[in-house]
Amino acid sequence: MTEHGSFRAPGPGDAEFETPAELYDQAPCGLLSTTPDGIVTEVNATLLRWTGHSRASMLGTPFEQLLTTGSRLFYETRYLPILRLAGEVREAALTLRCVSGESLPVLVNSTTRFGTDATPRLVSTAIFDSTQRHNLERELLNARRAAEASETHVRALQDASTAFGTCESEAAVAAALEHSARQAFRATAVAVLLFDGAGGVRLAAGRHPLFDGSAGIAQGGPEAEALSNGRAVTVVNGADAEARFPDVVGALRAARIEGLSTVPIIGMERTLGLLTCFYGRQRDLDDDRLALQMALALQAAQVFERVSLHAELANLALYDSLTGLANRSLLQHSLNAALLLAARHRSRLAVIFMDLDGFKAVNDGLGHLAGDAVLEEIAHRLRDVVRGSDTLARFGGDEFVVICEDIGVDEARGLAERIRLAVRQPLVGISASFAVTASVGIALHEPVDGSAMSTAEILKAADSAMYASKCAGRDHITVASV
Amino acid sequence: MREIDDLPHVGVLVRNNVHVSGNAAGRPMVFAHGFGCSQEMWRAVVPEFEADYRIVLFDHVGAGGSDLVQYDYGKYDSLHGYADDLLDLLEELDLRDVVFVGHSVSSMIGVLAEIRSPERFGALALICPSPRYINDGDYAGGFDQGEIEGLLDALDANYLGWSATMAPVIMGNLDRPQLGQELTTSFCKTDPDIASHFAHVTFLSDNRRDLARVSTPALIVQSANDVIAPLPVGQYVHRKIVGSSLVVLPTSGHCPNLSDPSLLAAAIRAYLK
Repeated sequence: MTEHGSFRAPGPGDAEFETPAELYDQAPCGLLSTTPDGIVTEVNATLLRWTGHSRASMLGTPFEQLLTTGSRLFYETRYLPILRLAGEVREAALTLRCVSGESLPVLVNSTTRFGTDATPRLVSTAIFDSTQRHNLERELLNARRAAEASETHVRALQDASTAFGTCESEAAVAAALEHSARQAFRATAVAVLLFDGAGGVRLAAGRHPLFDGSAGIAQGGPEAEALSNGRAVTVVNGADAEARFPDVVGALRAARIEGLSTVPIIGMERTLGLLTCFYGRQRDLDDDRLALQMALALQAAQVFERVSLHAELANLALYDSLTGLANRSLLQHSLNAALLLAARHRSRLAVIFMDLDGFKAVNDGLGHLAGDAVLEEIAHRLRDVVRGSDTLARFGGDEFVVICEDIGVDEARGLAERIRLAVRQPLVGISASFAVTASVGIALHEPVDGSAMSTAEILKAADSAMYASKCAGRDHITVASV
Repeated sequence: MREIDDLPHVGVLVRNNVHVSGNAAGRPMVFAHGFGCSQEMWRAVVPEFEADYRIVLFDHVGAGGSDLVQYDYGKYDSLHGYADDLLDLLEELDLRDVVFVGHSVSSMIGVLAEIRSPERFGALALICPSPRYINDGDYAGGFDQGEIEGLLDALDANYLGWSATMAPVIMGNLDRPQLGQELTTSFCKTDPDIASHFAHVTFLSDNRRDLARVSTPALIVQSANDVIAPLPVGQYVHRKIVGSSLVVLPTSGHCPNLSDPSLLAAAIRAYLK
């Protein structure tokens, strides 16, 4: 001990003297002893004054009974386990219940005192009034919660926007939407359902515990309702589902889904699909949450339409708009690739050139609409007879070309024969006097020295063979080897 | 089965910080901890079974030594996500005839897993279970909605101080040695956001309907004086799980695994005989 020259410790009788007992009782903090099980065995006057309890009512009472219910839960699930495992707890924030009915926020330190045999004997606790800190904390906490809520909203939309920016396909947009929604809503599963042009619906991304591709969207379910009224529909829990959507309750339960929220994805001219989030427990699906889900769906709708427009434009450049077959530019491209491949693998390749006989008469006699119908029908028949690996193109007017890779002369002739027979079948709605047949020419190419033939050369050879069939009286097949 | 975006694949043994000990030839006994702590909760119970049982301890993802990176807010937004992990664990170790010992919320996690794969389980020991904490009509769960929100506030109030940036502002005592704090975090460390989310999932779930679907023999252990899972809740669970046994320990508090490990072990042992 250091002794200060001028210092004399006050003793009994001095005005400034305080006994250790007085210090304990009047300390500027609550002091408390409990058994290891939390039964109060000693308490100072400060704590009694703060809480309004009498000393007699406090002794023998479990400490947790002095706490508000929320604090009791924290005390049981976290405070006590840590006290038992670590021997002490520092600065736990708890709330005391006062006799007056008011509550007192406090900070609590507890230390376990052990006996010589290392068993816990008692717990000493110091309790500090933290009203001021508590109020500051509440403000901070409320500000933080509000900031987080709005940040979640903004960030979800920003993240989605960034992800959508790089999407080139419908599948990519659907996947980005699914990911964004799953993150934003902490959903157990998210499904992006999209309609195709023909009224069918498919799962474009994510997981849909209820969706059966063949049956479509469940009738009488929340998604059907969202589609019919164009608005968000939520199911908060199993009882809600039972009351409002009895048809899908069994499926929800089997999928361990308690709630869901679904919004239609509405485009400029039509409803494109649905964004549905599934939750494994009862969730508070408030308006803010739904607003965010609708905003995500709206954002996605615009991107879906952009990529679909791009795809349409790309399609227009490669496919014939009347028949849907490859156009001349795609034919050139495919034929070039096929010739290079044939040269490299020394494999045989055939180009079948076909020109309709009698088509001009249909066009002139029955009009262009009838002519177009005939071309569509012929294209349809050709599709049915060619092999899956063949490339079928409309070369122009009433001329069609088939590229057949890896094919022998007999097989090529057989295919040409199927084409010839398919074309000469009667046309529904068109008088028999307007018979349509096919003049067919086959250019069969067998590479020998590794140098590739040009597309112009082989097309010219096939065209010449076709012309030979025309000269031979039409409805005929000519084979040329090149 | 499920998807987690952009996460590296980590096996369940690492993800859930699985520890296997005890008698390698013994019947498997899997311990699952409740909300607020980690597998440390079983420290005093495990020695009672080590000689006879193959002991499996693990942490729920988000707690203790689990791989926090694997915490997927969608997956763990319901107890089913935790049940998935438990089933992954039983499958990975290929455990059968398992004695599952689940404390508090883990009782319900065990119930959900058992419903899906009853063939893995031999017995359930549900310690202080509650299928729903919030009162609902005739059902007395022990709390009203506002009280549960009070807990969530209490959590936030406590974890606010854990935030590194917030702590100096509020505490104003950077120089104090943080020995106690370090001990605390190593025993039951948890991420504040995850703890808050787990609290929401734990205290706002309703698994009452699942109880009737349990087919494995079940022991329900209640504490005589437990504010979190009061006696009527234990009796409710006992009524709903057909053929179950209810044992009420003469203990106080929600964690007999910490306060009275020998009594708890004796009750489980007596049931398994």
